[in-house]
Amino acid sequence: MEDYKFLFKVVLVGNAGVGKTCLVRRFTQGLFPPGQGATIGVDFMIKTVEVDGEKVKLQIWDTAGQERFRSITQSYYRSAHALILVYDISCQPTFDCLPDWLREIEEYANNKVLRILVGNKTDREDREIPRHIGSDFAQRHGMYFLETSAKEAENVERLFMEIALELMEQAKCKELPKYDGSLGPINGKTTSVGDSSCCNRS
Amino acid sequence: MSVFLMIRVFHMTTGWQVGCCGCCSALRPRYKRLVDNIFPASPQDGLVKTNMEKLMFYSLSSPEKLDRIGEYLFQKVSRDIYRRRHGYVIIAAEAMDQLLLACHAQTLNLFVESFLKMVQKLLESTDPQLQILATQSFVRFANIEEDTPSYHRRYDFFVSKFSSMCHSNHSDKKMRDRIRLAGIQGLQGVIRKTVSDDLVENIWEAQHMDKIVPSLLYNIQTAEKYITVECLEPESSEVEEPSRLAEACLRELVGRASFGHIRSVLRPVLTHFDRHELWVPNDFAVHVFKIIMYSIQAQYSYSVVEALMLHLESRAGCGAGAGGVRAARANVLTHIVAIAAGDSVGPSVLEIINNLLTNLRTSVDRDSDKDEKLYQEALINALGEFSDHLPDFQKIDIMMFIVSKIPQQRGKGSKQDETLQTILLKSLLKVGLTYRTTELNRAFPFAFLESLLRLSQSSSPRTRELLQRILHTLLDRHDNATRLASPEINYSQLGLSVEKCSRSDLIFINKHGFAIYSSLYEGLQLESNRVSNMSSIYTSAALLCCEVASDESAPDLLQLILSIQNSALTNPVLTRAQKCQLHAIVISLLALLPHCMHLPRLAEYAQKIIENRREEAYELLPPLREDYGDVQSPNKLPYLMVDQMTVIECVAAHGVDTSRLSAPSPYGAGARRPPAKHSWIEAGATQGRDSLADITAGGAAELDSGNSSPQAARCSPCLEPLDDEYMKFYDRYNRGLRTTMQSFGLYHQNNTEAISLESLRRAAGGPTEAERREAERKRGELNNTFRTRPFDQLLHATMPKYELKEKLEEIFNSISECPLLPAASPNKPPALDTYFPELFMY
Ligand SMILES: Nc1nc2c(ncn2[C@@H]2O[C@H](COP(=O)(O)OP(=O)(O)OP(=O)(O)O)[C@@H](O)[C@H]2O)c(=O)[nH]1
Ligand SMILES: [Mg+2]
Repeated sequence: MEDYKFLFKVVLVGNAGVGKTCLVRRFTQGLFPPGQGATIGVDFMIKTVEVDGEKVKLQIWDTAGQERFRSITQSYYRSAHALILVYDISCQPTFDCLPDWLREIEEYANNKVLRILVGNKTDREDREIPRHIGSDFAQRHGMYFLETSAKEAENVERLFMEIALELMEQAKCKELPKYDGSLGPINGKTTSVGDSSCCNRS
Repeated sequence: MSVFLMIRVFHMTTGWQVGCCGCCSALRPRYKRLVDNIFPASPQDGLVKTNMEKLMFYSLSSPEKLDRIGEYLFQKVSRDIYRRRHGYVIIAAEAMDQLLLACHAQTLNLFVESFLKMVQKLLESTDPQLQILATQSFVRFANIEEDTPSYHRRYDFFVSKFSSMCHSNHSDKKMRDRIRLAGIQGLQGVIRKTVSDDLVENIWEAQHMDKIVPSLLYNIQTAEKYITVECLEPESSEVEEPSRLAEACLRELVGRASFGHIRSVLRPVLTHFDRHELWVPNDFAVHVFKIIMYSIQAQYSYSVVEALMLHLESRAGCGAGAGGVRAARANVLTHIVAIAAGDSVGPSVLEIINNLLTNLRTSVDRDSDKDEKLYQEALINALGEFSDHLPDFQKIDIMMFIVSKIPQQRGKGSKQDETLQTILLKSLLKVGLTYRTTELNRAFPFAFLESLLRLSQSSSPRTRELLQRILHTLLDRHDNATRLASPEINYSQLGLSVEKCSRSDLIFINKHGFAIYSSLYEGLQLESNRVSNMSSIYTSAALLCCEVASDESAPDLLQLILSIQNSALTNPVLTRAQKCQLHAIVISLLALLPHCMHLPRLAEYAQKIIENRREEAYELLPPLREDYGDVQSPNKLPYLMVDQMTVIECVAAHGVDTSRLSAPSPYGAGARRPPAKHSWIEAGATQGRDSLADITAGGAAELDSGNSSPQAARCSPCLEPLDDEYMKFYDRYNRGLRTTMQSFGLYHQNNTEAISLESLRRAAGGPTEAERREAERKRGELNNTFRTRPFDQLLHATMPKYELKEKLEEIFNSISECPLLPAASPNKPPALDTYFPELFMY
């Protein structure tokens, strides 16, 4: 039923293989897909959650980490309300690339976009990035921080719920970033054809 | 009409029945009941057709209810999706589609909201079937022409989602292709819906194009083979191949792009090739760029070329092999410029050329490695390919433009200058090869010829050789160049093709022959000449023989030949080998001339010399050799040489006017005049325009005026008003040449070795009194003729209409790096002097 109150767009970015797709599937389908293949271009998922008794629809765009798709994936940043930047805690290079990712986000995303840093694969024994390194980095760059395991379903639900909550509060306080006119309305109205009945900025 | 009425009646009756019997559902609004009734008890049974007709009729007769019907159907779809009752979802979607198509234009908007909400809802499902279903509905909607588009409607979700579907990675290949197809169809729908009206949704914005274009390219790339056709044949059935549909979609998009939108499409295309590293190898890039060229509105095709040119040097997507990527891009350019050429007009043509030349210059400034060379080759090829498809008059403009870009070497040019010079000459040659000469005066406009001849005296042997090759391609109208590639004495087997010289060519050669012959002569005098330089000048001279040989031009050609022989005997800077080579060239040209016109006695004479040389002096015969080993110095015995008097006798027997031949060589220390000019007199006289008496009288008058003043000064006032342009040209050349001639004159006189009576006489005493008189008389004739001849011919011949003239001048003026030839002015030192420092040592 089309009875959600808010519609938010969430975009996942980060190096190939850090587990973006697994996080999304864990959250939307409650499973950890075995042998998950690399994402090509962009994948799309939808999930409606309830926050404070209100229905919030999350449009989740799961982008490919591979370099060659970078130009198409960047084009999805712009309309995002929240950007989840994922790295793999057992893989130093994925952490080292974070500054590059931030630069991209800076360039292509709205500057008020909600940014969350996620260190995935906490279930793994071979951790390379200590927790506090990740959280320090996040703090320095004004990002929320969370460590997750798509495999063990750890913090995945929480990740998206926090995002929904935060965005909802922003929307309620009318703090939701104002996008330039050409983008059209931002919140529930972003795709007006799909959600004329939802509350949007009221 | 009648069918519609029947249905109407039918519905009226059934409608009543429904109204009467539906007591239990009476509480529900009628439209809801009508909607509910279209769903069967079991979804396998499909849409209840008769009830659907009722619903249709109802919504048509009560259009104000349409929005509620739509909303209600949408609710049902949502619920059924949620409950995974896909059978019902499909039925609802079908009903929505039918209602949409039945809606009248004015009422459409009431319904479209719900319809599109349903489509989005279906697209949000993870079930590919529903996504495909959604796409089909969307395409149906997209094909409806709305008379008042809804400006608040936004399509960014659809663009995002369809683009995502275009990249489907579904594990089942069949399903994957179907999803991708659906994605492409959806994008096609959005494009069709929005493309014509920017107010609806500006599809050309980067946020959309950055999704649409890569999605299409990604699918086009999956084709098994890239076969590029100018126009896709319309598919009779549904397209099954994502690659084909994506191509069709790209063509449609590009075809609809107005000028302002082209860059919006091209930018993501270029980025895609960079990102996906699709330049090397570049078959796919060629495929796509050709598709774009074929589908773009012709008047904009230049923009594609321009965009690609601007991207040539981009570092993006180069990785380590920047040079290779550049070369590959330039190669793509080569493939598309031909398509653009047909549609390019005026300034854009020169803009393209200018851009290519700028890129060449940039490339030369970099360290040259193998890839850089490939890049340069590719650029030159692009230049050639482009020119090949232009009309001939533009090719000349382009060649003149390129010539203007060639750096002039004063003294020691930098290595880069030299490289650039070579590269630009190669470009020139490339363009020249595409030009088909018809009339010489069209192929060699004055300024162009002047520049070419100036370059023919370059200090770099490589440059000189290239320059000769350019002359070859422009002179050679009968495909003789390869046959005349090197000196030869057996012409009969060569199968040369010779045609009678046309009137306009004769005019041309009379006007410019002296300058051309002089430059060939001078070219042969250079110490730095290699065999290839010698051969290439021979080829130019030989081609001239083939192209312009006639009674009128023969004396000048023979004079050139004799002068070359003379220089072989007297020029002290030449090496032993070079002297031998010159003799071989002399005999080769002498043997060629009778092959081009009727001069059997000359042929006999040449043959006799050849035989003598065969026996005693093989070194004086072709082929040209680098090394003449044991030959101490070339044999100079008179019977092995070409004797001027004998030549005169031979040709006079065939009615050729020999007065000029007996005059001193204009290439030696002799009179300074354009000897060719006076053939006008003969032409005029035979046509009876000028009486011989007039000419003689004029000559006498001329003779009387002060004989100590420089001859040029006496000539100019008479010529200038007639042909200012020509005089400037002539002046410049003679000024430049005279200096060197005088140098020759000096050692000429010191040369004590007797060669033949005739040459000795000339060498020692210069022209005889009789010859001088004759020369003066001729000059008088010449001047007189210039007064009386029809100007328009010459004017016409020297002032071709350049469509691009203004543009050219503008660009010429803007070129500061490579200064143009200074305007002809007697105050300026002749450029040629600096080229031959060695000659001034004597
Ligand atoms: N141990 C462990 N492995 C994980 C976890 N999440 C993902 N993986 C594994 O990491 C690999 C990559 O996961 P994906 O979800 O495909 O990675 P991705 O970020 O979507 O990669 P791209 O689509 O190429 O950008 C897969 O083999 C997963 O099984 C996790 O939480 N723990
Ligand atoms: Mg993925």
